[in-house]
Amino acid sequence: MPERLANRIKERRTELGLTQAELAEKVGVTRKTVNTVENGVFTPSATLAIKLAAALGLSVEQLFWIER
Amino acid sequence: MDSFVIGLVAGVGVVLLVAAVAKWRRRDMPMSVAEKAEYLSKRRARMLPALAVIFLSQQVTFFSTVNSPGSHSAYNAKIWAWLVLSIVLLLALSTKGFWLERKEVRDLIDDENTRANRNDAMRWGFLFSMAAAIAVYALTMFDATVTTRDAVHIVMTAGIATALIRWGMLERRAHRDA
Repeated sequence: MPERLANRIKERRTELGLTQAELAEKVGVTRKTVNTVENGVFTPSATLAIKLAAALGLSVEQLFWIER
Repeated sequence: MDSFVIGLVAGVGVVLLVAAVAKWRRRDMPMSVAEKAEYLSKRRARMLPALAVIFLSQQVTFFSTVNSPGSHSAYNAKIWAWLVLSIVLLLALSTKGFWLERKEVRDLIDDENTRANRNDAMRWGFLFSMAAAIAVYALTMFDATVTTRDAVHIVMTAGIATALIRWGMLERRAHRDA
């Protein structure tokens, strides 16, 4: 059964009123990277996942989970 | 002047000209580091397949004239121009690229997703190079004459062009999902 890293980045980002570009600037990546992580196209490293979670005020486990 | 030098100067000249034109086009565009990285990243995604087409068309010209009688000087010039372009493309594939930009911009352009895409493209390039090498090796078993220079040309072309196309595809997909 394939596993997928799901996330609630878009939902949380919208709650905080942030654009992809603003979130990208906060974590020091391009908007493209935020976009691909948000859409599940790209699996981020642990470092980026922690940075994203911190920028969105959540724990990594609250932001990401494995979908089977 | 020696034909090798002419080819070398022509190749380096074209590279410098392209870099200067690209820089000049952005002269009146005040952008933050993030905006500039986004702009350059999108432009790279558009440029990569175009570079692959230019590189491949250069190989078609090379192989269509390699055995035809003609000027030895012109042949040498072509070899050097091809070599310079190959080295520049290899450097662009294996480094952050955009060598004339500021360090912050270059660091941001080469972020995690870009590095992953580039690594994937390099993997594809390596596999296609090996496939081309195997094909050339097999071809010589059937009595076909392939010179060392031809073989190197074929292997390098397969690897570089594949990596450029694959990277371009991945970068375009990453931007398209936006």
